[in-house]
Amino acid sequence: MIKKRKSLWRRLKENKVAQGVSSVLLPILFGVLILALWQGQVLHKIFNTDTNTLPLPSRICHIIIDNIPAFAQNALYTLLVAVIGLVVGSIIGYLIAVFAATFQKWGKGGLTIVGAFNAIPIVALAPVMTNWTKDISNDPNIRSMFAKTLVVMIVCIASMSINAFRGLTELKPFALDLMKSYAAKKSTVFFKLRLPNSVPYVFTALRVSVPISIISAVVSEYFAEYIVGVGREIRENIVLGQYPTAWAYIVVACLIGLVMYGVLMLVESIVLKNRRIK
Amino acid sequence: MNLNSEAIKKNDVEIAINNVSVVFKDNQGNDVKALDNIDFDIHKGEFISLLGPSGCGKTTLLRTIADLLEPTSGNVRVSNMTPKEIRLMQKFGIVFQNPVLFEWRTVKKNIELPLEIMGYSKKDRSDRADEMLEMVGLTKFADHYPQQLSGGMQQRVGIARAFGIRPEILLMDEPFSALDEFTKEKLHLDLLKIWEKTNKTIVFVTHNIQEAVFLSTRICVLSPHPGRLSAVVDADLPYPRTIDMRDTPHFGELVSKVRNSFEGGSL
Amino acid sequence: MMKTITKIKNSKALVTLVWVLGILVIWEIFAFIIQATKRTPENIMPHVWQIFYSFIDPKPVSNGMSCLQVVLFNAGQTLSRAGQGFMIGTLIGFALAILMKLSHIIEKIAAPYLMLIQLIPILGMAPIILAMTHDIGSSRIIIAAILTFYPVATNTLAGLNSVEKQKYELMYSYAAKKSTVYFKMLIPSCIPYFFTGLKIAAPMAITASILVDTLQGDGGLGCMLSQSLKHAMSIYVFWDIVVFSAVIGVLSCSLMGWIENAVSPLKRIERKTKKKKEAA
Repeated sequence: MIKKRKSLWRRLKENKVAQGVSSVLLPILFGVLILALWQGQVLHKIFNTDTNTLPLPSRICHIIIDNIPAFAQNALYTLLVAVIGLVVGSIIGYLIAVFAATFQKWGKGGLTIVGAFNAIPIVALAPVMTNWTKDISNDPNIRSMFAKTLVVMIVCIASMSINAFRGLTELKPFALDLMKSYAAKKSTVFFKLRLPNSVPYVFTALRVSVPISIISAVVSEYFAEYIVGVGREIRENIVLGQYPTAWAYIVVACLIGLVMYGVLMLVESIVLKNRRIK
Repeated sequence: MNLNSEAIKKNDVEIAINNVSVVFKDNQGNDVKALDNIDFDIHKGEFISLLGPSGCGKTTLLRTIADLLEPTSGNVRVSNMTPKEIRLMQKFGIVFQNPVLFEWRTVKKNIELPLEIMGYSKKDRSDRADEMLEMVGLTKFADHYPQQLSGGMQQRVGIARAFGIRPEILLMDEPFSALDEFTKEKLHLDLLKIWEKTNKTIVFVTHNIQEAVFLSTRICVLSPHPGRLSAVVDADLPYPRTIDMRDTPHFGELVSKVRNSFEGGSL
Repeated sequence: MMKTITKIKNSKALVTLVWVLGILVIWEIFAFIIQATKRTPENIMPHVWQIFYSFIDPKPVSNGMSCLQVVLFNAGQTLSRAGQGFMIGTLIGFALAILMKLSHIIEKIAAPYLMLIQLIPILGMAPIILAMTHDIGSSRIIIAAILTFYPVATNTLAGLNSVEKQKYELMYSYAAKKSTVYFKMLIPSCIPYFFTGLKIAAPMAITASILVDTLQGDGGLGCMLSQSLKHAMSIYVFWDIVVFSAVIGVLSCSLMGWIENAVSPLKRIERKTKKKKEAA
């Protein structure tokens, strides 16, 4: 770790600019290498597969570009399910955390249960939700959207409630004593101390929830009755043997994830601008 | 044993610090002189304190001796060798401000850690650890884990671990600054006892004037911006030192002598 | 006597029990409503006792096997694959974390992809991996491994990076070899983090394995689940699998906790100090 040889290598290691450039350049080079191996069909040899099962990147791009309206529509539905589920689930999760932080003795036990819900496989959850929402509406589109959103919501509740509970209760030492010395009301303690303290924890939870919300949206689409959404398209195209189209939808699902994650990072950097001191 | 600085001076030079300067780059990329041309010798068996306010480079100086940092210019020689050679010969014992114990090891196993690394046999390790535990008065806590001990006890484990390897030179970086006064006083006496028994060279970094005067044979007073050696004060209180020496007029004189030797005056 | 009563009153188990009972009560209220208003209530929300009864009901539902036999027989298939994938994923994840710690170049290359990989809907890719391997068993293993690998790798890496600088300096002052630094310092430090990763990964591996089952009709919990939903066999098989997979998911997570308790001295001290506090 603290070697004393001042070689060129060492000087490069100590140079901040070189470090910054390399941490961007190296992963990009690696990505380009993989894409090249993929396009050059080397990956196909390694995995012993053909260009139909693992279509070339150029082909995937073509499919997406040629069918933008269809892709956009399916992506929109999946995005809607993921975002609504994420937002509603996170709000409910936070409210549960507030409840648990207010009545800690009973609340903690409740959180254990919520945590246990987290271990329930989405595969089991999705069909149950589809069953339960049969009477919501006569329109299969609406009721299946509702079922899918419910799945995403349930999955997002757990990580938010557990993280937010920590944010609401793990306060700086003596912060509560300080509030007490001001004779602050419970509500004041909540709004001036607990709530602001929990903000970074909320983002920690969201970082976990964003990828999970996409995955649950896609998986719940497998079980939904109305044929729309990225997940459904992946499955349908595979059943029909159209692997390139399925791949294109997988890429779209990744893109949705990337966009949501990017937005989250942006919001986080704005909200927590003054919190993170280096 | 009755040590005094006169007797020590006749001994060999153990650590020679020759015109050492250390320059860091700060966040804006400007050069900051942490140490400016430090030059002095530490003798064998001496208890030397590096004393100064924050930013005077006392820890930096200790780190150059420990081979944790290379001087920008000048050099450090330990027993006529480079610090790196001494380190590779495993002759340094280091105690940090935090005890730095391995929380998954028991107290005894923590003391055995460096001995394991140095390839001692199981029995030797165990015997040595028992001996060290007795020395710091923690025999009863051999099988406890660090988290179960108080801060003072943890620091004593750290000291036992450092002495356990029978180091030639003990480097201590503000080892007691996180402890309360009562614990600190007790550990001061313990440390002096161990030092007198083992006759090791100790380099002790501190920002506490009383602590430096009470413990050391000599005090190197460092001043900040840039870090430089302002004075070397002989702490010529007799050994063994006792708590009531702190109340003597001579102790007070030494403290004010040290205080007045800071450059820039106001502290 | 009074003491034991207050002890029970204050115990965590009681709180959890009350919550479980509360949820069961709510379930039952809805189940009664559904029973009164729907023609096939068992498809939507059967009573709790009906689900439990179906577990012990010896009446054959498929190929002369009772519900319980169907569930257990298929669970063996699903779980053994999930287990294998979980082990492989754990090994790869742990190895990658160590490699990333060992080499700055590998760390730089892998760090952004570790973030990206969690955005890929691996579960969504299950059908494609099946198409590539042509074997449902190995697809299960591969997908479970990929899902396990991510949380194990990130958590272990976080553990390796959590070691304070002073510990490195201590090892450095002992002139410890790189391998010694890893075996005596870094690896023991990352163990609690590693187990956090395992706790997240275990239910995911099971989810993955069940999902892959639904893709092809040759057995496994997921396969039975979809057949039961299509009314190819008693709907109670579906409910049993839902209950069973939920329980197994929770248990797999606790199992990792138990293993951690057994192997980690840190956990043992935590328990000891807790007991002492409770006694005091």
